[in-house]
Amino acid sequence: MPSSTSYPPSSSERALEVHHLTGPASAPIIFEIEIFVARGETLLVLGPIQSGKSMLMRHLVGLECAASGTIAVDGEAFDPTKPEDKALRRLRSRVGVLFEGSALLRRISVLENVELPLLEHEHSSRAQARDAARELLAEVGIQVDDDTMPVQLGRAGQRRVALARALALKPRLMLLDEPTLGLDSPAAHEFDETLHAVQKKYDFGIVIFSHEIRHAYTPANQIDVLAGGRIVARGTRESLLKSDDPVIHGLLHRRERE
Amino acid sequence: MMSLPVRSSDVGSRTPRSSTFLTGEWSVGTGVTRLGGRFLSRGRVALGALHWLSWIIVSPRSVVSGGVARELDTLGVGALRLVGSASILVGLIATFQVAYQLKQYGAESVSALAIGWFATREVGPLVVALLVVTRSASAIAGEFAAMTSGGEIDALRVMGLDPVKYLVAPKLAALFVALPALTVIADGFITFGGWVGTTLFLGFNSRFYLEQIRTSLSTSDIATGVAKSLIFGFVIAIIASDEGLSVDRRVTAIGEAASRAVVYCLLGVLAADTLVNAILYFIPALVL
Repeated sequence: MPSSTSYPPSSSERALEVHHLTGPASAPIIFEIEIFVARGETLLVLGPIQSGKSMLMRHLVGLECAASGTIAVDGEAFDPTKPEDKALRRLRSRVGVLFEGSALLRRISVLENVELPLLEHEHSSRAQARDAARELLAEVGIQVDDDTMPVQLGRAGQRRVALARALALKPRLMLLDEPTLGLDSPAAHEFDETLHAVQKKYDFGIVIFSHEIRHAYTPANQIDVLAGGRIVARGTRESLLKSDDPVIHGLLHRRERE
Repeated sequence: MMSLPVRSSDVGSRTPRSSTFLTGEWSVGTGVTRLGGRFLSRGRVALGALHWLSWIIVSPRSVVSGGVARELDTLGVGALRLVGSASILVGLIATFQVAYQLKQYGAESVSALAIGWFATREVGPLVVALLVVTRSASAIAGEFAAMTSGGEIDALRVMGLDPVKYLVAPKLAALFVALPALTVIADGFITFGGWVGTTLFLGFNSRFYLEQIRTSLSTSDIATGVAKSLIFGFVIAIIASDEGLSVDRRVTAIGEAASRAVVYCLLGVLAADTLVNAILYFIPALVL
């Protein structure tokens, strides 16, 4: 992990830059969001359930139409208020996404899941895609037969496959929605290690959206606290631990029994 | 059925389809806007699916084609037993109905003519379409709705993969092959049912029955039936897929989408059939 740098990072190395993002246009749930992630660094967006984390992530990949704001991925701007096909396609080829619950396609095999983006975007042949998929899976520590289906892997395995799938197009930015939700602690810990190993190798920015406080104890360079659709605090773990704000305190500290 | 309150946070930018049409809480104003939205979204799915269908035909070795084979197996081969047995029963029913009606005119002996003609032009394609609707429309809509609520559709979109290309086009291709094939098979079984009915219960001679069927059947009748079945296949694939893809992300939405798909597919198939029959009646030159 690179050591913590100044905030916000200089514009040349920004993997993600979001200004004044409010949305969705129909009925806003997130307001005036400002976030930055440098390449090779990790941002944790910490917030209680229903605070708008998933909605924020959906905006970043153009699944929702924003009311206002700007988004730039790897230096290239993208207008979230009117997502058009060409820009979306370019944006999405630079962003890897791991949805809550993995969201693997259940009807096709694990290998086919990882092959799919390669075949669509890289115009590689079937054999090349299969080799590349095996390699990616090996990188996240998964070995499968040709016909292993996602359900056969269990939750932790599926999460790794989803990570391999998100890695397939060599993204500049990786978005993870509740990546370790429902995993037991050793599995969650191993997942974190794998994630950081691949981040080191490919040098992408990471944004983790979670309500789990355990992520604050993994090497996140920056923590943004999201509550009620707004970023209410930001800082490092140490600075946030000292905060007196009741929301932040409630998120970071175990409440003592009275 | 009860409709649940929808929280805005559950929904996303796509407007969810509520089931007010089925529950009866329906007013003209909302009905018109919904109907408009429905036609728009059906149109989008239809255009996309046809576009990618041509793509499947042009490059048969693509990723999607593997899906076509699998769909053909579930939508077509899987329906064989149902279609076969139902068709025999329909053949028997047709025999008794036709013979009963013609008896009044003393024309019982030409019932085989009527069976052959009616089976291939009308009953065959329609029965097959209705059977496929009951069997597969709910399955297609349910599968897509489950994928939507499980985030799989979003995952596809985020990877830059068009769900219409990867999911709808293979289903459409499979139904375009399966429905005409099942229709021809059903024609055969209905004729067989008619043979069983006329020889066993009406005391006709087999040779007489087959002779009549042969004179009554022309290639154009079978072609008309097959052409109809192509239209029905299109209607079923588009409506069921669209219902499945446009649900919001609640779990109860899966069942609602499935039942809506069956209702609209049935209506769609019957409407399409009416239209085709009307066109063929008023413009007889179109009859092949």
